[in-house]
Amino acid sequence: MTGEQFVFLAVSGLTIVAGILVVTLRNLFHAALAMMLSFLGVAGIYIMLGAGFLAAAQLLIYIGAISILIIFAIMLTRRMMQAQDTPFNSQAGAGLVTAVLSFILLVFVITRLWRNEIFDSPPEVPTAIMNQIVVQLGSDFVSPGAYVIPFIVASMLLLAALIGAVYVAWPQVEDEA
Amino acid sequence: MEFTPPEINLLIVAPVLIIMAAGSLGMVIDLFMPDGKKGWAVWLAAIGLLLALAQNIALWNGNYETFIPQNGVAMVVMDNFAIFLNATFLLTGLLVIPLSRSYLQRTGLEKPEYYMLLLFSISGMMLMGMANDLILVFLALEVLSIPLYIMCGMLWPRPESEESAMKYFLLGAFSSAIFVFGIALVYGATTTTAIPLIFDAVAANGLNAMIVTGLAFLMVGAGFKVAAVPFHMWTPDVYEGAPTPVTAFMSVGAKIAGFAALLRVLMLALPQASGEWVTAVAVLSTLTLIIGNVVAIRQGNIKRMLAYSSIAHAGYILIAVAAAADNPSAGVSSALFYMFAYLFTNLGAFGMVIALERNYGEGNLLDDFKGLAKRHPWLSLAMAYFMLSLTGIPPTGGFSAKFYVFGAAIEAELYWLVLIGVITSVISGYYYLRVVYLMYMFDGEGQLITGRALQFAVFVMAISTLVLGLFPEGLFNLTAEATLSATRLLAGG
Repeated sequence: MTGEQFVFLAVSGLTIVAGILVVTLRNLFHAALAMMLSFLGVAGIYIMLGAGFLAAAQLLIYIGAISILIIFAIMLTRRMMQAQDTPFNSQAGAGLVTAVLSFILLVFVITRLWRNEIFDSPPEVPTAIMNQIVVQLGSDFVSPGAYVIPFIVASMLLLAALIGAVYVAWPQVEDEA
Repeated sequence: MEFTPPEINLLIVAPVLIIMAAGSLGMVIDLFMPDGKKGWAVWLAAIGLLLALAQNIALWNGNYETFIPQNGVAMVVMDNFAIFLNATFLLTGLLVIPLSRSYLQRTGLEKPEYYMLLLFSISGMMLMGMANDLILVFLALEVLSIPLYIMCGMLWPRPESEESAMKYFLLGAFSSAIFVFGIALVYGATTTTAIPLIFDAVAANGLNAMIVTGLAFLMVGAGFKVAAVPFHMWTPDVYEGAPTPVTAFMSVGAKIAGFAALLRVLMLALPQASGEWVTAVAVLSTLTLIIGNVVAIRQGNIKRMLAYSSIAHAGYILIAVAAAADNPSAGVSSALFYMFAYLFTNLGAFGMVIALERNYGEGNLLDDFKGLAKRHPWLSLAMAYFMLSLTGIPPTGGFSAKFYVFGAAIEAELYWLVLIGVITSVISGYYYLRVVYLMYMFDGEGQLITGRALQFAVFVMAISTLVLGLFPEGLFNLTAEATLSATRLLAGG
């Protein structure tokens, strides 16, 4: 077994075990932590595929933002923090069927792709160009020749959402009337 | 890296920038104002809207484009279509402000945030009409929606308001996700999100299942915003629970913005798929007309009744959209005319509902209209006139609008759609005219709370509706010019 295979097994094992823990742990807070671990494993797989930027984005967005958001939400709702219910409910059967069907679909797609020559000879992308792509992405976001206007509009969107969040979260002042 | 000087003419997007700047400025001013002073926000919003309107009108006939990326297709276009819609949105804002003022004061809502969120939402609506790239369409959709979600819930902790915000937010988030999925599918099939390039890709490679599926998803997303059946489930609850000026604003603004995006995508990106979408639009239109008008009859709450009425009016505009498949200029221009006339009529009707609402949720029943004519003869006359206009009885703006829409549909040979439109108009007479009947034929305790601002706004809207009813040609010629540029782009590819 080569070192690469060993690392792959370790990383994918981590992802799968953590993924199973997410749906079986009784404490919701622990489940959220297990989900972060699973995301970390996915980031590791991205690194092994040579997609460093994607791995960094995975770390920043999924672990840095989404998981933290979920943990915040759990911690803010005290009842959920203490809940020790069984994670299986009446929809478990339907969920299992959906999961199995999705799995079959994915296997089908992957085995079809397997015969494609892309898998036999993956295109060698020099590291210099890969780095350039990330730089290009960054400069395109703020370049008037590319995506500056969506970038600005997105920032206005966040500003409006921020104002709204503050408004909704602020203690209600008693009406003067 | 080399830096190329930006080729951006900010004057072209100035109307949107002014609105965004006024909104941001208001939040800064709010920091330095003592708590008691609140009047400045109204004036800041009104001045911002007026400045933007002036700059917007100055751009008429310019056919500007700006923010041009390497692929050579502008992200933002300022054709007459966009300018006309911008004017519609800015007028909506200008009319909602005087309608809101006294209502906000008596419900304890008078806060600068209300006006600033209103401005942000309007900037999103304007971008919906100007966006020439699906990414920007989506962002504009969110900029318009998120302030609206918050405005619906502004009266928290009152449960109806919270319910309204929550329902709108959840269903809005779903519909946005579907819209993005549609964009992704179209991108997957054409490798571009630029609307003219999608047209080119379809022209070169023809349609395939992926594009058509993407188109269907885009229509579902837009259908939610315009409250077309079967994507209308949220409308009555959201309209009922939201503060009434917010309901008025979204029943006009969000609906027109949804149609702006729908028309641009259908007419400029995928006109070659018109064989596919015309049937879908016609079916949506039929369902919307029948369900909107029939269910409205059973409503006892004026806000719910107007919610179903606004669903029904989406159906009439959809007739125009369907007609645009065959006859782009007549279809688009009659849709624009309809939306412009609807703006005055519907806001006017909501102005009266706002005046009748003593406190949040009190005085919203149809029975509260009883006997109003004796105490408030002029305003009741205006309300009766708005009801006639919503029904489509001449001489009102509503009649002219329906006339043009049905005319366009007949030219496009959509006879059965026109037939359904006419029959449902007759049905709608029942519930609209019942309001008039209640006002004039009964005695009641109803009392209007009117400020000078509200009276003035209602007066302006009644006059505008009358002018559109008596002299529709002027506006119709303008809308004909607004569609020309949209369709000329189409021919240019």
